[in-house]
Amino acid sequence: MKNAYIWVLWLVNAIIFVLSTRNPIYLFLVLISLFILGNRKTKPQHRKAWFILNLRFLISMILISSLVNGLFTHLGQTKLFHFPSNWLLIGGDITLESLIYGAVNGLIIGSLYLSFNIFNLALSVKQLSRLIPRAFHPIGMTATLALTFFPSIQQRAREIKEAQMIRGNPMKKISDWLPILLPLIVTSLEDAIILSESMTSRGFHAVSNRNQENFSIISLVIGTFLIFSGWILNLFDYPQVISIFLYVVGGSLIIFILLKKGCEFRVTHYHRVSWQKKDIIFCAIFLIAIITQIIFAALYENNFSFTPYPQLSMPSLNIGGFLLSVVPLIPILASNHD
Amino acid sequence: MKNTLTGILTDIFVFLVGLSSLLAPFILPQSRNSEIQSSAFPIVVSLIIILCLAIVFIETQSSVLDNKMIAFLGVLISINAGLRFLENAIPGPAGFSPTFFLIILVGYFFGSRIGFLMGAMTMFVSGLITGGIGPWLPGQMITAGWVGQTASIASFISKKLHFKEKFGEVLVLTFFSAFWGMLYGLIMNLWFWPFLAGGAGSSWSQDASLLENLGKYGAYYLATSVIWDITRSIGNILIMLTMARPFLKVFQRFYLRFSFHFEGSES
Repeated sequence: MKNAYIWVLWLVNAIIFVLSTRNPIYLFLVLISLFILGNRKTKPQHRKAWFILNLRFLISMILISSLVNGLFTHLGQTKLFHFPSNWLLIGGDITLESLIYGAVNGLIIGSLYLSFNIFNLALSVKQLSRLIPRAFHPIGMTATLALTFFPSIQQRAREIKEAQMIRGNPMKKISDWLPILLPLIVTSLEDAIILSESMTSRGFHAVSNRNQENFSIISLVIGTFLIFSGWILNLFDYPQVISIFLYVVGGSLIIFILLKKGCEFRVTHYHRVSWQKKDIIFCAIFLIAIITQIIFAALYENNFSFTPYPQLSMPSLNIGGFLLSVVPLIPILASNHD
Repeated sequence: MKNTLTGILTDIFVFLVGLSSLLAPFILPQSRNSEIQSSAFPIVVSLIIILCLAIVFIETQSSVLDNKMIAFLGVLISINAGLRFLENAIPGPAGFSPTFFLIILVGYFFGSRIGFLMGAMTMFVSGLITGGIGPWLPGQMITAGWVGQTASIASFISKKLHFKEKFGEVLVLTFFSAFWGMLYGLIMNLWFWPFLAGGAGSSWSQDASLLENLGKYGAYYLATSVIWDITRSIGNILIMLTMARPFLKVFQRFYLRFSFHFEGSES
């Protein structure tokens, strides 16, 4: 599974499920799936280090989140101990429910982190940079140049550093780095001048109609404002249909403008992204999973959700939740062929 | 004039929407749907910030990004992304980061738009290189963008106080970088703090007042982040005192060299 767009769908699916459920059992299943997949995606010599690093992060998030929520939130019926009420902010009952709620938040943050970590592992820098929409062609060009120059600038920095060390620079204080950074920036900016001249001589010169740009900018501002307004109204419990309407109108406007803007830039494709049969199958699976979650969320509110308040109870389970918990593991089926 | 006005209004809109998204836990304490606040908060905030960044990028790429500036920024961003790797080499405690001084100097010397691009793109490119793509990245991009953008205020102050090309200029930059060293961490905590300390009826939902929320955030910040931010501020001060003058001289020299104009170009 090397198609970057399918990995984007995989990530969206994982994020939606992780954020829509607060059920610790589903979250544990998601985490197990992510750890198995991440382990497969990591190079064999780095697997152990990757596993330990991420497990340590997960445990620390669970502990910090439990502690913060336990100290500041005094809800729940199972009282563990009591801080005097006159203690600023943390005074009150420390309850099992608030600790569990915090731990679940830690599981969610850990799952999100791990999902993005695997996304980074699965895609190369080149694939990630190609995900920049064509509407941002000059910005994408800047990012690509920065990425292209990166290895040579690193190499140059090493050479200057070695030369400085031969001259007796101890490299211990911040001021010792000035003789490295100054030549580095001067030589690199010289390269930038040569590059900009060659870009112009090869016909790369962005000329834009500023009036059209103003139209695009104003449309993007309106679209963003509509989405922002939809979120605010949703927070204040206005009828959800208003928020959905604003999301759809704002989102459509933004997508339309970005597509229109993208058509203004002619891009040469050296390597076209190919869609193989298995890519289409994976794409369909993730799309179905995303749509199913949206439908479930709309029809059955809090279907996968769980709250320990007011008194801790066993989370309810269903087959849909179990299936969605293991969807993040699906790319493992393709790993052998990549 | 019309284009300048569009640019300024865009900046104000992005600043207000971006900041109010991040500050939502404080300015919307009376909202009723706490479940939505807590569960989807980081992603919704990230999405709105991505849209804000898209607006600034479209505006900036049409106003300042010609091929000279693309090459110039590409190289500087590459160097700055590399400085993140140097963090390990330069002796410094946790929180110390050498990436901000170049963002501030570029914003100071080349203006707010280039400063914003420098900050935002540095975070993006270093995120790509270090595998740091995540829900935190849009927040990092816009905050680092603001660091570069607001550096033009430091330039304005230096000009007004006749500090240009004097030691006072370095002092203004040093104060500015120390200020952002603290503020950066303060802002960056906001995208996930309500999520970490949130939940039905807890810290920042319907029952808590603005002052209570600020107090709780203050306690959280003191407990988890303040040491990191102080070391970042001290690091910024040291780097700025040591390197600001020579780097500004280099920028001055290359500013003149980059002022060439291509025959036939419309810009």
